[in-house]
Amino acid sequence: MTEYAIETKKLSLYYGRHRGILDVDLCVEKGDIFGFLGPNGAGKTTTQRVLMDIIRPTAGEASIFGKDSHKDGVTVRERIGYLPGELSLYDNMTARRFFKMYYSLQRNNTDPGYWKKLANRLGLDTSRKIRQCSSGNKQKVGIVAAFMNKPDLLILDEPTSGLDPLVKQTVMELLREANQAGATVFFSSHILSEVQAVCNRVAIIRDGQLVATERVEDLTTQHFKRIRFNFANTPPPDAFTREGVVETSRDDAGVTLEVYSHLDQLMEKATSFGITDIETIPVSLEEIFLAYYGKGNGDNNA
Amino acid sequence: MLRLLLQELRFRITGIIGWGIGLSMFPVIYVGMYPSFAEEMAGFQDLLDMAIYQAMGITMGSFEGFIASTVTNLVPVILCIYAVINATGTLAGEEDDGRLELIVSLPIPRWQIVAVKAVALGISLLGILLIVASGAALTMEAITLPIETNVTSMDVFVSVLAAWPLAMAVGMISFFLGAFSPNRRIASVIATVVVLVSYLGSNLTGLIASLENIEHFFLFHYYEATAEALEVGQQTGNTAALLLIALVAFGLTLIFFQRRNITVGAWPWQRGVISR
Repeated sequence: MTEYAIETKKLSLYYGRHRGILDVDLCVEKGDIFGFLGPNGAGKTTTQRVLMDIIRPTAGEASIFGKDSHKDGVTVRERIGYLPGELSLYDNMTARRFFKMYYSLQRNNTDPGYWKKLANRLGLDTSRKIRQCSSGNKQKVGIVAAFMNKPDLLILDEPTSGLDPLVKQTVMELLREANQAGATVFFSSHILSEVQAVCNRVAIIRDGQLVATERVEDLTTQHFKRIRFNFANTPPPDAFTREGVVETSRDDAGVTLEVYSHLDQLMEKATSFGITDIETIPVSLEEIFLAYYGKGNGDNNA
Repeated sequence: MLRLLLQELRFRITGIIGWGIGLSMFPVIYVGMYPSFAEEMAGFQDLLDMAIYQAMGITMGSFEGFIASTVTNLVPVILCIYAVINATGTLAGEEDDGRLELIVSLPIPRWQIVAVKAVALGISLLGILLIVASGAALTMEAITLPIETNVTSMDVFVSVLAAWPLAMAVGMISFFLGAFSPNRRIASVIATVVVLVSYLGSNLTGLIASLENIEHFFLFHYYEATAEALEVGQQTGNTAALLLIALVAFGLTLIFFQRRNITVGAWPWQRGVISR
């Protein structure tokens, strides 16, 4: 039986009459590095806040490691490292003092000096007052705070926001290392390349509802295929106009197609123009994401 | 819980010292100046008998009346403003600026967060009053009074400290408003109105006989800033009433904070309604 680090059933939250999330059924398996994707206002932060029991759902259930995120909230949060999306810290403190305070307020403390190692790896000067830190350095403080207790589950809201590329790389390494040490990682991000690089599963949320939850490789291979055909005889412009096929480019040598369905019929048609070469072009997660959100509101496989 | 309390006190220590020293200027200056204009003050008694001064609780014809009017009357009012600022800033303010999200995400029950912050507020108010009371008592020890009085420096010290239940009641009401209303601004406005209406209302009900039946609704009714109270202390029943009000407000804070959607900024009745 699969063990879930996070499981939600029909999780819904309304702000008054405004939709936050609706009927979110989310399963994050233990050991996953799970990417949570969606544009601003889609419901990523709301979902994470409900999991942390910061806000309470209007309907549905949320459990973490099999325990109710509200009723067993204190026990559950002992095992979680959390980074809020809108991080706000105690400006008058130095980062060092903040870490000591934050560590002292945790339970299940294991390694009192771990925050120093994390801060060193991120290049964070912990002697400076937080108010003197740049937004990137404040983000580093939040990341160290989330990781410092070696939690079983990391819930991170856009962890690399405001960081330079080198530090982003380090954060990704920290995620992988935490995962290899047994932690489950659930994080939201707008940077799809990093999600693709580090996550094994992703969920895409749109207008408060989950529209896809899949393994990254399944998502990028199954949603559509991009195929480049070179032909002996140039096909007419409307040769591939049919359901489930979109022609994305054309030159003298051939055409590039996005194929959502009816691959067999397409191949039959293509063969009639004398195929000289065929190539399957990898589809990035970003392109999948845009397919969901861009053209036709994601309903573009028709 | 103790660690959280120590942390809360660390956050407040500068404010306690600053407000304590600032507020102690009142008794230090007023008590210290009294010998130089004691005779003149007696001459002003007719003027000070006017209703407007009585409404403000000011009767300066005697040393006891002078101390009651300047120290035990005004210090609690200003301390109540501190209580409003600090108490609304504690839950509502931290929620507004986002810091509370980090605290409630820790493995700490919400009731403990509320309890610790309430205790820290109580200690802050007591700390400020101790500084002010010490300032007043030391000043009184330092001056030579030109008149006979039964009031001792210890009486002044105790009478300043006696404002704690009133300040605590205001603080806890403000605390509750912070957990109840959408944001700090609204909580602060309501709490300030409560303090001002309580202060003026209490004094007015003492002057206008027809208003006597509503005097119990004003917090300041339960705190006597009079020459008599300076000598014999506050009535136990009044002090108990203020502490009970503080306790009820604290209980309501626990209930509403427990149910509160942090970061949302909504009234309790604005809960989500599913509209598919």
